[in-house]
Amino acid sequence: MSAWHFIKHFPCTNLSRHILRVKPRRCFTSSTPPSSFSISASLSTSESFAAAPYLSVRIHCPKHIVDPFSEALLCFGASSVAVDEYDEEEEEEEEDVTSESSLASREICIESIFPVHEEVKMCISQAANSIGLKEIPKFNVELGDEQDWITKNQELFQPVEIAERLWIVPEWTSPPVAEAVNIILNPGLAFGTGEHPTTKLCLLLLQSLIKGGEAFLDYGTGSGILAIAALKFGAASSAGVDIDPLAIKSANHNAALNNIPLEKLELHLAPPSDNSSCGTEIPLPKEQFDVVIANILLNPVMELADHIISFAKPGATIGISGILSEQLPMVKERYSPFLEDISVATIGDWVCMSGTKKKS
Amino acid sequence: MAAAAKDIATRRAVAATIKLTVPAGGARPAPPVGPALGQYRLNLMAFCKDFNARTQKYKPETPMAVKITAYKDNSFEFTVKSPSVSWYVKKAAGVEKGSTRPGHLTVTTLSVRHVYEIAKVKQSDPFCGYMPLESICKSIVGTANSMGIKIVQDLE
Repeated sequence: MSAWHFIKHFPCTNLSRHILRVKPRRCFTSSTPPSSFSISASLSTSESFAAAPYLSVRIHCPKHIVDPFSEALLCFGASSVAVDEYDEEEEEEEEDVTSESSLASREICIESIFPVHEEVKMCISQAANSIGLKEIPKFNVELGDEQDWITKNQELFQPVEIAERLWIVPEWTSPPVAEAVNIILNPGLAFGTGEHPTTKLCLLLLQSLIKGGEAFLDYGTGSGILAIAALKFGAASSAGVDIDPLAIKSANHNAALNNIPLEKLELHLAPPSDNSSCGTEIPLPKEQFDVVIANILLNPVMELADHIISFAKPGATIGISGILSEQLPMVKERYSPFLEDISVATIGDWVCMSGTKKKS
Repeated sequence: MAAAAKDIATRRAVAATIKLTVPAGGARPAPPVGPALGQYRLNLMAFCKDFNARTQKYKPETPMAVKITAYKDNSFEFTVKSPSVSWYVKKAAGVEKGSTRPGHLTVTTLSVRHVYEIAKVKQSDPFCGYMPLESICKSIVGTANSMGIKIVQDLE
């Protein structure tokens, strides 16, 4: 309940064109007791990450010890260290001006990130001590600006052409080919922009399978991209499941962007998979789906195999992705008791395995 | 986008080197991964998916040491190493720190079986792959001893 109040009262930081505005007619069910997301408020992507602040610390250090020093920082409490590449040409220009500088005295900056409760000064001094530095290097600490990296991440998202006349287009761009099947997305921080090989593989699989009128299940829906694509290809209905509430939020928003009516797409928040309660409380009918795709990771697709297959009708097609080609043999072995006519598509190191559910 | 080493036909310009610790299978677009990679405009989701897929074989939440080379065209490559031997030794022994006087004061003991299990994990590290298991075991015993942790045949 307190989570609900938190969302309701949080001042909306406006990400300008990146606002997640969710229309009130959509809703989703949660199989865990809801800290229910009331979706009539305007939400912004960064809202959920206000609870994840960090410290951005810039540390000056002599160039010749940057490697041991950054390793030491990681040992003593830094979450990450980044060093800009030493630009030889720039340094040569500077030498003319400051002819006194020698290699050892050249300083570079380490950009590091610390957890917000960490004692930065102590960490830096312990790290310096451990490599025999006589003085504590100069540093300054700022509260991390999450708006900055979230925005930069969103800006990377460009329209992607998956196949002829099938495009994935960010919410803030107009479709390059207006007559194509365009799936409009604001992925937020959920997986599925169309750029990743596994998303492409699953989209192509879906395009080949959906003839019209199918019931589709997207297990691990992320941004909802597959569930929405299925409907655009002509499926009768889509269902999406994910363990991440942010994914459900993102999928909701993307469904609205693509004018998907409520009755065509239902979304469910599943409890995180552990060995015992493998999402047994998801309120979806068994053996009702014509196509089921799970684009997740090796461990969940292995653990949840029986569960994922249980939703498919006999004779339905099941697609499994998010796995590397080296992991394929394990997955094939796990799923072959249930599937026949197994085929595999590959892009780079990633594969998508599909087969039909055995009838008996 | 993540690219395999074999795709480099020409030497790409490196923008930065980023090092961080990420729990196996647990990369998320949140601090520290988010800001560390976001600053250099690297594709966060691609990294998370890639890293999580490649660390499926490790026990979840094991802190993996990641080194990312970010190129000026926003592409990147990364290598993943399992935690240091001293981390594994401390974990196996159930201690927070090694001995304050290694060689004189023994904090606790581990069995040769522990050493073997740790060696098996380290063998799948890049840069470690060609070392014979026996050499890795010897190095682990050395590290344990230097922390004041004795190796015994069997824990009784």
